[in-house]
Amino acid sequence: MTYQLLLPQIFLFLWAILIFIIDFVRKEKKHNLAYVALLGIVITTVLVLTSQKGELFGGMFQADSFSAYFNLIFLLTGFLTIASSVEFTQRLPSNKGEYFGLILLSMVGMMFLASAGDLLTLYVSLELTTIPLFVLASYRKDEFKSTEAGLKYLILGGISSALLLFGISLIYGLTGTTFLTEVRTTLIVRFLSTGNVGPALVLGFIFMIAGFGFKLALVPFHMWVPDVYEGAPTPITAFLSVASKATGIAAFLRVFFHAFLIFQVDWVMLMAVLAALAMIIGNIIALLQTNIKRMLAYSSIAQIGYILLGVVAASSRGVSSVAFYTFVYLFANMGAFITAIAFSHKTGSDEIKDYAGLSRRSPALAAMMAVFMLSLVGIPPLAGFMGKYYLFSAAIEQRYIWLVVIAILTSVISLYYYLNVVRQMYFQTSTEESPILMGAALKTALLICVIGVLLLGIYPNIFLNFANQAAMVFHY
Amino acid sequence: MVGLNHYLVLSTILFCIGIFGVLTRRNAIGILMSIELMFNAVNINFVAFSKFVTPTDFVGQIFAIFVITIAAAEATVGLAIVLLIYRNFKGINVDNINIMKW
Amino acid sequence: MDFPILTLMIFIPFLGMILILLLKREQESAARFLAALFSFIPLVLSFILLARYDGSTSGLQFVEKYEWIPSLGITYFLGADGLSVPMLFLTALLCFVSVIYSFGDIKERVRQYFAFLLLLEVGMMGVFAALDFFLFYIFWEIVLVPMYFLIGIWGHGRKEYSAIKFFLYTLFGSLFMLVGILALYFTVEPHTLNMMVLIEKAPELARGFQLLAFVAFYIAFAVKVPIFPFHTWLPDAHVDAPTAVSVILAGILLKMGTYGFLRISYPMFPEGAIYFALPIGILALINIVYGALVCMAQKDLKKMIAYSSVSHMGYCMLGMAAITVTGISGCVFQMVSHGLITGALFLLVGVLYERAHTREISAFGGLWIKVPVYSGIMMLFCLGSLGLPGLSGFVSEFMVFVGAFPVFNVIVPLAVIGVVLTAAYFLRMIQAMFLGTFNTKWEGLTEISGREIFTVIPLAILMVGIGVYPSPLTNMIKATIENIVHLVTG
Repeated sequence: MTYQLLLPQIFLFLWAILIFIIDFVRKEKKHNLAYVALLGIVITTVLVLTSQKGELFGGMFQADSFSAYFNLIFLLTGFLTIASSVEFTQRLPSNKGEYFGLILLSMVGMMFLASAGDLLTLYVSLELTTIPLFVLASYRKDEFKSTEAGLKYLILGGISSALLLFGISLIYGLTGTTFLTEVRTTLIVRFLSTGNVGPALVLGFIFMIAGFGFKLALVPFHMWVPDVYEGAPTPITAFLSVASKATGIAAFLRVFFHAFLIFQVDWVMLMAVLAALAMIIGNIIALLQTNIKRMLAYSSIAQIGYILLGVVAASSRGVSSVAFYTFVYLFANMGAFITAIAFSHKTGSDEIKDYAGLSRRSPALAAMMAVFMLSLVGIPPLAGFMGKYYLFSAAIEQRYIWLVVIAILTSVISLYYYLNVVRQMYFQTSTEESPILMGAALKTALLICVIGVLLLGIYPNIFLNFANQAAMVFHY
Repeated sequence: MVGLNHYLVLSTILFCIGIFGVLTRRNAIGILMSIELMFNAVNINFVAFSKFVTPTDFVGQIFAIFVITIAAAEATVGLAIVLLIYRNFKGINVDNINIMKW
Repeated sequence: MDFPILTLMIFIPFLGMILILLLKREQESAARFLAALFSFIPLVLSFILLARYDGSTSGLQFVEKYEWIPSLGITYFLGADGLSVPMLFLTALLCFVSVIYSFGDIKERVRQYFAFLLLLEVGMMGVFAALDFFLFYIFWEIVLVPMYFLIGIWGHGRKEYSAIKFFLYTLFGSLFMLVGILALYFTVEPHTLNMMVLIEKAPELARGFQLLAFVAFYIAFAVKVPIFPFHTWLPDAHVDAPTAVSVILAGILLKMGTYGFLRISYPMFPEGAIYFALPIGILALINIVYGALVCMAQKDLKKMIAYSSVSHMGYCMLGMAAITVTGISGCVFQMVSHGLITGALFLLVGVLYERAHTREISAFGGLWIKVPVYSGIMMLFCLGSLGLPGLSGFVSEFMVFVGAFPVFNVIVPLAVIGVVLTAAYFLRMIQAMFLGTFNTKWEGLTEISGREIFTVIPLAILMVGIGVYPSPLTNMIKATIENIVHLVTG
């Protein structure tokens, strides 16, 4: 066995421990640990890019192009989160170092999860991902909203794990194994000999979808999202909204496309309905929001609905489009959150109406925010359009026209609330004239997002090829 | 003779009690305990399946041990957060912990 | 053709936009100069295009084709035929005119304004030159963004409402086109987004599919044209937009809709075009008569001209629905002529509004005495708009009627009522504003300035030129239109 395959995960884990140690030993200037964490992420990225493909522990750990693709998403999100946290941690009264260590630990969990070939690995890495996030969500210990967010996230995370586990236990009971490959072969053999799969399997699907539903914030499992997003520190909200969702997507694809694709009639329709609900409910409630974090929370609920279009298509084009859109979503959503972070550092406000006159105060920041908003709507030639085009094409290829029509109508609705931010920035005026100043790390993060949004919109070939390779991992 | 179905019925009942508790309990500790109940229901499932479906290998039992461990970790973090809540809100009744509308 | 003339025409304004954005906020005159320069170069190029275009064939010219996103079958594919060349020229001309006009009009956030205006030009040029569906769609949508900002920031009245309404309506329409594009992509074997290949494969498409796809594209284009009942965004957007933007909106954006019909809907879904000919004809009639009737009721000059667009675009649709060579030629003529005339009318309304700060028709009277040059030019264009023989409006309407009459022998006579109504409201307006007793309130009104005359003169020359001697334009579009008619009727 070549443990080399585990090198990125092991390295990042050790780096997280290193950060905890430095944090313990050093007495001051702990927020500089951010740069240490960033360095660790960069090195891990190099390791991921140069790592080989293969599997370990009899298939429990799969290092393939799918895991490499999602690892890059997690690493980039982590990088952007940490880069945008520098100023946040400077303001913290204590515990500045742990913050970065916990983010890295959560990322280790995500990276294991993308490689999970076994339900046990999947479960353990999922918990490794979420437990640090509970802590991070309630990181501003003396702030009511933050602790409340932590508690709500904890409770709903616990429920979702329990549901997921119940589903896993049913699958295990039916097949006698937790290896995804063996689950698939056993089920196929069973199906071929008896002609049906029985209600227990469908029950297992439902429990697992409910479990993943909480992680992905699908309607009707989305109630926790707005509160947690609003209450948690904004960099963590950004991390939750992108990395945590990407984790859910990766896990869902691993399980359902690896093991259950044969039985897609039993769950695809359910996913289609959930997608439609997410797009409708998410977009409509987002219209009513006045707080930018809550607005982005509901928008992220709606965006998951669009991503599910590709899942529903249940084809290689579908998975490829999901993987591609996750990258698209990463850049635009992180960008929007980073702008919100920069803005609230200066003004202390998260209200959309306070963005009035931003195009005067900070033209570049306003222009970038406008780009992110338009990308989230899906206006060409930005990344959001490319992503939606790809998702829609996957859905139409499988004749889900009704779902695409819903997606279109809700996209038009979404235009209204995304442009509301643009409207405030460009059409309204404010008496405040002072520009929004940003640190170097924040600027870099913002610049990466803008470049990503433009590049993925105009010349996405590299990412598309990579996404296509990731999609080839599954058998359709 | 106690068979697989008995265990499954027991675990399902426990799981439902857990869900019921999560939804109706107003005390944060109570909710955490209900979640633990759900985890334990799952553990019964795993162990029972391990005994009856795969008597020769112990995948289910190993899984149950992992679940217990992780549930302990989760409970630790959970209690720490409840402690923070107690300091901030002077109480752990979830009806009061609602600055943000759900 | 080695010289990438179409690419240059599309992206030179984009370069201008970048340069303008690099300027400092105070460098307003530099921004104006750059905008003029970078909208003038495409105009020069469009003259080259006109000169080198060979109207004797219906084939594509100036073709540029490169791989772009191979894994999705997307290419960078540009080309021009008899349909696009006049529109490209019109776009270049009206954009230049708008930039020049905006020198005096726009005093706030000058840099941003010209940047958006140039971005708008990029989108419009691209729409008329793109032959890959994906590329076409991108340009189609790019247009919306600068338009939204231009109306919302520099507009008047309920500008924010009008801006978002415009954006929502057109996005709604164009997303249906996106579904249509994707459905088409997966229906045709091998999958392709190349419009020319899709047109060749059109006969292979099932009838039911053609009808559905025609409807999907119809929604997208009908919102743009706009065809009743999708027209309600138009008066709001036109009236609230700044003058130069109204010019572009009326002069070019509306033509994107009719261009889309001729480029995509008709050749690709001939069954749909034939099946829906009568409904489209009836809707065109409603546009003509309803638009004219609403004009009669308007008190605001700009609103009246906005609604006259609804009416005039109805002629376009009527000629198109007939699917005869004369009818469609009339449609293209109307596209060009309406662009020139209505563009100029909006400019002239802007000239007056800038001085008088009102657009109430009844507030004026006897302006002929005070500002004869302005009044003369205005009346000339009004006569052009109502279809006076010898001006371009007459030629196009005449061709539409002649072309459509054999097909719609009930609708066309009814549509002539529209002509009468048009004459009525324009003459009423001329009488109220320029003739009669002079309203002394306007004693201080100044005459139209040299720069403003400079902006309308080219439009006037072309209007008269096409009206008197239409054959150069006819020769240019004839082969292409014959081909379209052949593709539809077989």
